[in-house]
Amino acid sequence: MFSKILIANRGEIAVRIIRACKEMGIATVAVYSEADVDAMHTALADERYCIGPADAQESYLNEERIVSAALVSGAQAVHPGYGFLSENAHFAALCRKNHLVFIGPPAETMRALGDKAHVKALMAEAGLPVIPGAMAIHSVGDALAAAGQIGYPVMLKACLGGGGRGIRLVNAEGEMAAAFSAARAESEAAFGSAEVYLEKYVHPARHIEVQILADEGGSAVCLGERDCSVQRKNQKLIEESPSPAMDGPQRAALFARVTAAVKKIGYVGVGTLEFLCAPDGEFYFMEMNVRLQVEHTVTEALTGIDLVKWQIRVASGVRLSFSQQDVDLSGCALECRICALAPGTVQFLHVSGGPFVRFDTYLMTGSAVTPYYDPLVGKLIVYASTREEALRKMKAALCELVITGVPNNIEEQIALISREEFRRGSYNLDFMRK
Amino acid sequence: MAASIIDFFLKPGNELEPGGRPAAPVSEDENEPSVTCPNCHRGVPQSQIWDNLYCCPRCGHPFRMNARQRIALWCDPDSFEEADADLESCDILGFPGYPRKLETARGASGEADAVVCGTAAIGGRRCALFVMEPNFMMGSMGALVGEKVTRLFEAALAERLSVVGCTVSGGARMQEGLISLMQMAKTSGAVQRHADAGLFYTALLTNPTTGGVTASFAMEASVILAEPAATIGFAGARVVEGTTKKKLPPGFQTAESLLAHGFLDAIVPRAQQRDTLALLLRLHEGGGSHG
Repeated sequence: MFSKILIANRGEIAVRIIRACKEMGIATVAVYSEADVDAMHTALADERYCIGPADAQESYLNEERIVSAALVSGAQAVHPGYGFLSENAHFAALCRKNHLVFIGPPAETMRALGDKAHVKALMAEAGLPVIPGAMAIHSVGDALAAAGQIGYPVMLKACLGGGGRGIRLVNAEGEMAAAFSAARAESEAAFGSAEVYLEKYVHPARHIEVQILADEGGSAVCLGERDCSVQRKNQKLIEESPSPAMDGPQRAALFARVTAAVKKIGYVGVGTLEFLCAPDGEFYFMEMNVRLQVEHTVTEALTGIDLVKWQIRVASGVRLSFSQQDVDLSGCALECRICALAPGTVQFLHVSGGPFVRFDTYLMTGSAVTPYYDPLVGKLIVYASTREEALRKMKAALCELVITGVPNNIEEQIALISREEFRRGSYNLDFMRK
Repeated sequence: MAASIIDFFLKPGNELEPGGRPAAPVSEDENEPSVTCPNCHRGVPQSQIWDNLYCCPRCGHPFRMNARQRIALWCDPDSFEEADADLESCDILGFPGYPRKLETARGASGEADAVVCGTAAIGGRRCALFVMEPNFMMGSMGALVGEKVTRLFEAALAERLSVVGCTVSGGARMQEGLISLMQMAKTSGAVQRHADAGLFYTALLTNPTTGGVTASFAMEASVILAEPAATIGFAGARVVEGTTKKKLPPGFQTAESLLAHGFLDAIVPRAQQRDTLALLLRLHEGGGSHG
C-alpha cells in the first residue's frame, strides 16, 4: 500500500480523498494555489506545498510543479481527483516517468478512451450499443454527408471534449456550416484540438451512467447506475441512483453488457460509462470517464462501498474483495449539488445532519469562495429505502443546510426536487429548460 | 489564519492499511547526476550519497563533507551559534594572485574562510566547536584560521566549555608564508592554556589532515579521533619517499595505520560520530585533563 499520496486537486474532492487516506493510514500531501492558503484541504493534509498563483494554469494545472511537489515530499502516488489533470494523459505519463503511481488508468488507456470517436468504436466492438454517428469529420461536406445518412437532428461534438464545451446541435442542413466552424473553434480553444465528430441527436433523452470498478486480476463489478438528467448547460445539478426510468430486467441486461465490455478492454480502476436513454428505452453509449466523478457519492450512499478507498487499493494492486452478487443496490440515493452563485466568504455554516445524510464540502466558517475555480462548494447526499423517503429526506436536509455570506443555489434545489415531474421520476434532459 | 486552521485538526494516526504492492521508495531520477566512487569505481546517484551520510552506499567510502554538513551531522538541531563569522583573510604579504584566489574560494565554499567556529550542543551538551572547510583552499591554515581557532579556545576557556573540532586541511597556507607557520605556535598556546584549566578537547581528523594543522591543534587533542581511511600526516607521502629515498610501507599515513601505531585513540565512522562525541562530552562534563 502507498504510505504517502499527493492530492493534485482542491475543494471538496481534495477533502474527500484526504479523508479516505486518513482512514487508510496513508500520509497526505496537499498542493495549493495562493488563493487556497487557508483552504480546508490545505489544512487537513499532513504536508502542503504552494504550487503557484490562483490561476489554475499556473497551479493546479501545472504538471511540473505538482510532480516536483510529489518528489520533494516523497509521495509514492498522485491522486488527481476529478477535473484539472485527472484526464490528462501527458500528466499520467509524466508521473510514471518520475516513478510516481498515477491513481487512474495508464496514459495509453487514457489516450485511447479520451478520444470520443475512438472510444465509441471500441465500445461498439466490445458489444455496447452506440449512437449512430460518424468519426472525425474534417469538412462541412463530410458533415453534411454523414448527417444525411443518419437523419437530422444531429450533434457536432469535440473529439477530446467534456463538460459540454465544443458541442453544437444541428437541426437542419442549413445550420451545418455555421455549427461546424463554431464547434471546431470552441473545441480548439478548450481542448487544443479542432477535431469534431457527429452523432444522431437522441431527444428527449435521459443521461444515465453506469459506475464500474475493476481490478488488475480481471475482476470487474458494476455498482449501479446514476440518473444525471437534471442538467443546466450540460452541468449536472441533481443525480440519483437507481434511475427511476429503468426496470429490473433492463438494468440486469445493461450491467451485463457493461461489465463484459469493461473486462474486454482490460480496464482497471474506477470508471463511468455514460449512456443516453432514448424515450423508447434504448440505451446508447456516449463516453467513458476514466476517473472518479463528482457524483460518485450517490453510488457510495447506495452501495455502502467507498469508491475512493477502492480506487486507491486497486491502484496499489489490491484485488476486489467482493463480487457482483455482494453489491446491494436496494434503496434510493439522491445528490444535490450546492454551487456558489457569486464569490463570498462564509459567515455562518450549518450542515444538515441525521441518519443517511452526508454533506461533502470544503467550506467552514470563514472560508472564502474565490472566482478562480469551479463554483461547486458542496454536495448534499441522502439515502433512504424508498425514493419517496429519499425525496422527503433531501427536502428536509436542504432546508436545514445554511450557508450565509456566499450566494448559493440551495433554494433552487428545493424548488427543483419539489417539481411534480421530478417527484414522479419522469424527467429528462429538458427538465431545466422548462 | 492558516496555522490556526491546521492546528484545529487532530491526526487520527491510523495504521497503514495492509495489502497491495509494497510502497516503492522514491526512485532514482534518470537525469540525476551520478558520482563515481573513488574507492569502488561505480557510479552512484547523488541523492543516494546524500541519504547515506555522504558515504558510498555500496562500499561505504566517505565522500568529503563541507563544514555546514558536518555541523548538521553532529549538532542538535538549531543549536549551532556561529562566532567570528565576519572575519576575513587579507593579503598581508602582497602575494601574487592571492586576493583573487581568496575570492574564488569564498565563492566555491560559501564560507568566509577555511574554518567555521561557534558554540553548539551535541547530545544536549553545550561545547565550543570548530569545523574546517575543505572547499576553501583545502582547509589551509592562514592567519585567520589560526586567529579563529585561538579565539575559540580562549572563549571556551572563559566559559569553561569543552572543545570539539573537525579538521580537514592541506596544511599551512603558503600564500601567507611565515605568518601562517606562526599560527601553529599560536593555536598550540591557546590549546595548552585551555588544557591547563582542566578542560576537555577532542578532535576528529578527516581526509586529509596534513601539514601545519596536524603538527599543531589537530594532534593536541586529549582524545584524537579519525574518519575511516583518512590520510593524516605531516609531509605528503611522495615528499617523504623522495626525501628518504625509501619505499613507504602500505597504508602509510592512513588513519588505520596511525591507530595501529598509537597516534589515534579511535576510528569513528560517520554514523557513530554524533553518539561518540556526545558520550565523550558527557564523560568529561565539568572538566578533564589533557594527555
